[in-house]
Amino acid sequence: MLPFIAKRLLLMVPTLLIISVVGFIIIQAPPGDFVSSYVAALQKQGDVIDPELITGLRARFGLDQPLHIQYWRWVSNFAQGNLGYSMSLRQPVADIILERLPFSVTISLLSLILVYVIGIPVGILSATRQYSLADYTATIISFLGVATPSFLLALVMLWLLFVWTGNAQLGLYSMEMQNAPFSLAKMLDLLNHIWLPALIVGIGGTAGLIRTMRANLLDELPKPYVTVARARGVGPTKLLYKYPLRIAINPVISTVGYTLPDLIEGEVLVSLVLGLPTLAPILLRALLQQDMWLASSVIMIQAILVLIGTLLSDILLAIVDPRIRGSV
Amino acid sequence: MSSTHPIGTPVQDPALPADTLLSVRNLQTHFFSREGTVKAVDGVTFDVKQGEILGIAGESGCGKSVTSQSIMRILPKNAKIVGGEILYNHQGQVIDLTAVDPNGRVIRAIRGKEISMIFQEPMSAFSPVHTIGNQIIETIRIHQPMSKAEAREQAIEMLHRVGMPNPGRNIDQYTFNLSGGMRQRAMVALALSCRPKLLIADEPTTAVDVTIQAQILKLLREIQADLGMAIIMITHDLGVIAELTDRVMIMYLGKEVEYGSVENLFHRPKHPYTRGLLASIPKMAPGRIEIEPIEGSVPSPYALPTGCKFHPRCRDFMRGVCEVSEPPLIPIAPGHEVSCYLYGGREERA
Repeated sequence: MLPFIAKRLLLMVPTLLIISVVGFIIIQAPPGDFVSSYVAALQKQGDVIDPELITGLRARFGLDQPLHIQYWRWVSNFAQGNLGYSMSLRQPVADIILERLPFSVTISLLSLILVYVIGIPVGILSATRQYSLADYTATIISFLGVATPSFLLALVMLWLLFVWTGNAQLGLYSMEMQNAPFSLAKMLDLLNHIWLPALIVGIGGTAGLIRTMRANLLDELPKPYVTVARARGVGPTKLLYKYPLRIAINPVISTVGYTLPDLIEGEVLVSLVLGLPTLAPILLRALLQQDMWLASSVIMIQAILVLIGTLLSDILLAIVDPRIRGSV
Repeated sequence: MSSTHPIGTPVQDPALPADTLLSVRNLQTHFFSREGTVKAVDGVTFDVKQGEILGIAGESGCGKSVTSQSIMRILPKNAKIVGGEILYNHQGQVIDLTAVDPNGRVIRAIRGKEISMIFQEPMSAFSPVHTIGNQIIETIRIHQPMSKAEAREQAIEMLHRVGMPNPGRNIDQYTFNLSGGMRQRAMVALALSCRPKLLIADEPTTAVDVTIQAQILKLLREIQADLGMAIIMITHDLGVIAELTDRVMIMYLGKEVEYGSVENLFHRPKHPYTRGLLASIPKMAPGRIEIEPIEGSVPSPYALPTGCKFHPRCRDFMRGVCEVSEPPLIPIAPGHEVSCYLYGGREERA
């Protein structure tokens, strides 16, 4: 097990390097750089810009260097924990990420929990009562859930909540709590707001998981080992939970890693619609303004989180499935 | 075999002779699907005495496995016992297994403890994510109040008995760690872990190669002599029947066609189907191998022939008789019964 984890951790290094190169190139792909989009914005307001100031700015941010030098400066600093300086927000990238990452992670984790807490039991119910009213209901709802884009769902929910309660469920805190110091009341206020984005982000995944769980379990239920267990006198509860469910759940565990990018992507759109102080709006802004240190760093952080999630799900799978444990 | 209960007559007296462990009477198990009803087992009657080995033979689809699943009440959802009785002698008390709840306590206390089963495919018979020991110990502890350690001891002892090379280690292995022969031995150990009174072996040697097949049969014979349980041996292989069993029931399309001692059946086969089966075993004649297959093929279960189910393939087909009504099971010698109009039974027709 330990050599397996060590191997996987080592493999992360080249993976992250490739992601950093690809990410950096894509961020740099649009014509111009931060200074040109900054200047364009100023010029729009009628300002006259001294060309020397432009060159000065470029030199200050190192944007006059060739691309590979810029990349190397960023990546070598990133590896040492120095995430650089956001040109557009005029503060260190690390501060911005530290302020917003916890919200992103909390929303993603809450959605993940929601996906499993709802998806697994409903999937089991659907499979064990195949072609019942409950199964058909779950099937219809899960098809709708898979097919509805999360941003649309966010808009609809926002509207519905506004109609019902008269409150716009925007942001993560109520107005009066926005700038209040940290307290239990503020915590509760956060919980009162964060369930909505978590629910919306999780709904697609939940619907998908219901389908997967149902299909996997229906595959396992008629297998000989279940009949044999029945023929040994095993009771109905154990007959479901100890044997087929245990095996049907393996692919579900192994796909936790693949669910994470979906959740992060969903969180981006939902955060924009609901105006949440997460990483997503910052990333979008950084991309539009070509604030490349900020954009690259946010993308790298997300990549690292996804890789860690994948590794955790692989470790979990090796723990629950001896067939995989034997081969790692 | 109780010739006092020919097919179709209701059982008057549910009591069983003390030496009879199981009495299946006029069992009918049908499968229901959109395509129609399949009468997988359609009126089968036989007895199993304490400690005897009964063979049930026939081609695939003849209903031999469904018979065993009916006894264990582990039929698939779309199958139903629609008639007959399965009387089981449970410590002097006779229980009709067709009448108990298939998920209830009564049958669960019998499964694995009183009647247990060996399946065809040992690889898929064990859960791939649990050790074989886990499943054997579980079975023991369902039926006997004992600690994990005691159950483990008993499991190791049983693995030793079935000839596992290293029981102390094998108990913690998974099926994918074991060879085919070892897996089938583990399956036998699992089935015998609670010392059942009746072991149903459903094609136990079909999925293993010939050398292992011989080993498994030898093992079953030894263990039967050792523990004295009764065995129902279900197979399509007449060689296995000849080697292991005392009495045989031949089935064709859910019907019992002939029933008797191994000796009678192999030396004095009566039913044209039994004769055909025996003739289709390759025989070594000087210089060549002779095989005489049965003409035609098994008809679709959705469109069964009228009258005797075997008549379209029968060499001795009698027009105006065989396709008209089903021949009853008639005794032709003590302990030897056949269901064929060649041997009478026509006068019994209404």
